[in-house]
Amino acid sequence: MPVRLSEERDPELIKQIVEVGGEDLLKCYQCGTCIADCPTGIADEPLSVKRLIHIAKLGLSEVLIEDESPWMCVTCTGCEERCPRDARPFEIVLAIRRWQCMEDETYIPQVLTELYERGHTQNVINPMREELELPEIRSVAANEEMLEKFRKLLRETRVVREHAYMFGIQEE
Amino acid sequence: MKVGLFLGCNMPALRPDTEKAIRISLSSLGVEVVDLEGAACCPAYGTFWSADEEAALAVSAWNYSIAEKAGVDMIVQCGSCYSTLKVGRYKLVNGKLQEINEKFLSKVGMKYEGKSDTKHITDFMYNDIGIDKIRESLKYSMEGLKAVVQVPCHTIRPSNILGFDDPENPVVLKNLTRALGAEVPTFTRDKQCCGGAGGYARSNRKAAMEFLKLKLDSMKEEVDPDCIVVSCITCLMWMDEAQDEMRKLGMIDYSIPVFDYNQLLAICQGHDPKKVARIAATPRDEVIQRILENKI
Repeated sequence: MPVRLSEERDPELIKQIVEVGGEDLLKCYQCGTCIADCPTGIADEPLSVKRLIHIAKLGLSEVLIEDESPWMCVTCTGCEERCPRDARPFEIVLAIRRWQCMEDETYIPQVLTELYERGHTQNVINPMREELELPEIRSVAANEEMLEKFRKLLRETRVVREHAYMFGIQEE
Repeated sequence: MKVGLFLGCNMPALRPDTEKAIRISLSSLGVEVVDLEGAACCPAYGTFWSADEEAALAVSAWNYSIAEKAGVDMIVQCGSCYSTLKVGRYKLVNGKLQEINEKFLSKVGMKYEGKSDTKHITDFMYNDIGIDKIRESLKYSMEGLKAVVQVPCHTIRPSNILGFDDPENPVVLKNLTRALGAEVPTFTRDKQCCGGAGGYARSNRKAAMEFLKLKLDSMKEEVDPDCIVVSCITCLMWMDEAQDEMRKLGMIDYSIPVFDYNQLLAICQGHDPKKVARIAATPRDEVIQRILENKI
């Protein structure tokens, strides 16, 4: 999607991204090292951190909220290692994801509810354990008391507090 | 030596044979493996890190406080768990610890003092156990087999926070594999990421497979390896399962078996391959057979 300079600017955008951990985007001088060996480069629409930073600096909130490319990141952190400005591009990708989650809750990963439910992204109690002579799982998934504590801890976090209904939590 | 085994999610859920290989091979090396009572997801980058960093740090500190109470450091195989636990600890001990303890852990009667740390299993085996001790534990050898290694991105970058190996020329997994007797050649795309982690394969599977194909073609054409050795559950599952999918789609016409390092180590130590290397989409029987013909 081309960036149209006539679009409305949001002067708050860059501040909001900085607040959720993207402060290093101010260091970026648009050299493009971050995309030079990004694994997504082979895709029709690659993830370009450089471009995302440019959009944020221009204050194009409407463009940024529609852009799902930050979620394509492999998290390999090659960009982080190679950035000549030490702008930590991967941290910026995460910050943009956070901003998107705050602006539009449909971005909040569904998997968070799994974590609240059982402490893991999936069912870690595999029935094959017995056959493999593995000891019983001792993680939070198999310990009701710890799981209750874990949920209590999560209820203290902003994302769970503000979206309680997503996690099946009844308002008090 | 006593360590806490951080299981994460994918390994126990989908590849418990790898967990078996890790437990049994470490036990053969005289390591006492402790289970972490109540440990949760690391949490992965695609979870709390992507929505609320403070929540991610709270979960990270939760896991550390459990290890710390047990008096152990954690070892972990999954690259993603390793990276998030290291980055989490880095952010905690460099400023956020007190706040996270007060706002979250204290509410459930827990505390992390910043003592307990995390090590990747390859770091632990290479630097704490050592090549000599690993060699002494072997009953079978990979002599005559050619193996390439997939160094997990998450174990080498960002190197200022989590590196135990040279990020531009990592040698730990290669030397560990050589210790089993295998030849470990280098090829052009040696250091390329597998493409399996994060949201790539989920949001653009075709591109992620094309990306993996670049690497597979390079190793096939240049060195024609008998197997790929990884030490990350995502590298393992993706390189194994995507190959199967790519063969069905006609994208590749060859097959390169993929093993977690500790699976090969456990087999070389004489443990039952049906227990330590049971699950694979790309058949591994021939490599296992060849190892078992190489009694030391």
